[in-house]
Amino acid sequence: MSILVAVTDSPEGSKALVAAADEAQLLGQKLYVLNLALRSLADLPVVDAGVEIINRKGRGDRDPVHAVLDEIENLKIDRLVIGIKRRSAVGKALLGSVSQRLLLECPVPVVAVKVDA
Amino acid sequence: MLVCPAPRQMTYDIPGDERFTMASSSAPAHTSDTPSNLPPDTPGPHVSRLRLITVVATFGGLLFGYDTGVINGALEPMTEQLGLTSTTEGIVVSILIFGAAIGALLGGRLSDSFGRRHNIIWLAGLFIVGTIGCSLSPSWEVLTVFRFILGLAVGGASTTVPVYLAEVSPYERRGSLVTRNEVMIVLGQFLAFIINAIIFQIWGGEEHVWRWMLVVAVLPAFALLFGMLRMPESPRWLSGRGRDDEAREVLHQVRSPERADAEMDEVHALIEEEQEAQTGGWSDLAVPWVRRLIFIGIGLGIVQQVTGINSIMYYGTQLLQDAGFSAEAAIIANTLNGLASLLGITVGILLINKIDRRRMLLGGYGLIIFFHLAVGLAGNFLPENDFKPYAILVLVALFVFFMQGTLGPLVWLMLAEIFPLKIRSFAMGTCVFVLWITNALVAFAFPQVVSALGIGPTFFIFAGIGVLSTIFIYFFVPETRGKTLEQFEAEMSA
Repeated sequence: MSILVAVTDSPEGSKALVAAADEAQLLGQKLYVLNLALRSLADLPVVDAGVEIINRKGRGDRDPVHAVLDEIENLKIDRLVIGIKRRSAVGKALLGSVSQRLLLECPVPVVAVKVDA
Repeated sequence: MLVCPAPRQMTYDIPGDERFTMASSSAPAHTSDTPSNLPPDTPGPHVSRLRLITVVATFGGLLFGYDTGVINGALEPMTEQLGLTSTTEGIVVSILIFGAAIGALLGGRLSDSFGRRHNIIWLAGLFIVGTIGCSLSPSWEVLTVFRFILGLAVGGASTTVPVYLAEVSPYERRGSLVTRNEVMIVLGQFLAFIINAIIFQIWGGEEHVWRWMLVVAVLPAFALLFGMLRMPESPRWLSGRGRDDEAREVLHQVRSPERADAEMDEVHALIEEEQEAQTGGWSDLAVPWVRRLIFIGIGLGIVQQVTGINSIMYYGTQLLQDAGFSAEAAIIANTLNGLASLLGITVGILLINKIDRRRMLLGGYGLIIFFHLAVGLAGNFLPENDFKPYAILVLVALFVFFMQGTLGPLVWLMLAEIFPLKIRSFAMGTCVFVLWITNALVAFAFPQVVSALGIGPTFFIFAGIGVLSTIFIYFFVPETRGKTLEQFEAEMSA
């Protein structure tokens, strides 16, 4: 059993990371952190020795949703944690919504953490 | 540079010069210069082999320059024979640049899939077909089709040649070889202006004279084609395809034996780095600091092109004729623009790491606006006498010189250094595409604006756009000189 958290470069990403660390501790499971940001996560306080950080790399990971779904399959993940936020219609139309696609396509249960909750 | 190349690995360092600081950051190096612990490359027969390769490959840069510059002298006789209006003139000239925008996008993909050498050989073929097609065109419509084909080749060369050069050369010389390609582009334009002038002096009365000007470009295209057939594939590309044995064999052709074996590790590291560079894409625009950087990069591309530099490179002869030169004198006078461009880029490359980027951008743009205004004022207010055309010529040449000495090379350098590794491929591709499209739009509009308003007001418009560009640079473009990539990234994403 293990948990994967998808961390985007945003407040909801950090929130998801915090929530996932709690979840992993609560359930006593290994936490994998998938860094969807294009920069390093190393200086975030929650990221301690117990977790394993995976970075997006290469053209195959260009679509963050693919990157997440691939890792869920490779690492035999049982639960996915993501951060979500209300998005504008224009923003969604132009850039798409990673969280919406993950909620719909992810084969394992998804814990969605709201940033303003 | 005018319309230069968009290599995904671009270095601007000059031998003996401080290499641009961001490249020496500790992290996966900024560009392909990995200062590894490689044994020095000792002299031997491989040195002349490498020299031959670089000479052959830079014919691609030369063709890029020639084909974009040759229209300058050819346009006037072409207009007469094919009956071009200022709109169809704009189409014939700018279609090549639109083609180049597409060629640059496709070229990168194709050279990743099929190889650099393979790509350059096909591009040489495309140059030949495009050139012959253009010079035999019976009408402007046919000419447009072949100019588009030529544009695809120009765009493809703009991405493939610098990458090939960077990948075959040892890291100590990578920067200078890529820089040499840029000089070759400007040299190609200068040569086109000179050859135009010579051909026009000999066959000036002949209505087909423009066809001879265009067809000259098949000579370097054949040199590129037959030359590249004998050149090896890029070792890095081969290794990336899992063909390490062949890669090693190529390295042995172009390095001393000890160096060749030692360099395979560097090749592998650079392949990793290149894969990293392709990570980010469209969806990463959701992150504000990434979006901001791409916005700045796009802005820089636009700002460089709206100086109107390429209006001079494509329409200089016509402009000088409008200014009062005879057709014969204008085509000769225009070679001064080519020379100013070549000298400017040379000075620019020497200065580029000695002055802060922002200062060079703002100072450069200040000078550019000054000369735009000067050309505008001379065009509008000087009395029509023998002195006027010369005044305009000198002012235009000074504009070209200062543009190529500052913004020309600097925008390319900044595009190569503002993006974090993981978004670099996508970001550069996007910015360069917008740059080419801006170039094409300016080229399309220029003859119509000049014919509607005249030279003076056209340059006042350039000056006005220049003021907006300066405001953009002042408020948005960050300083990158003297910062490591990490420092800069931390600053931007804070």
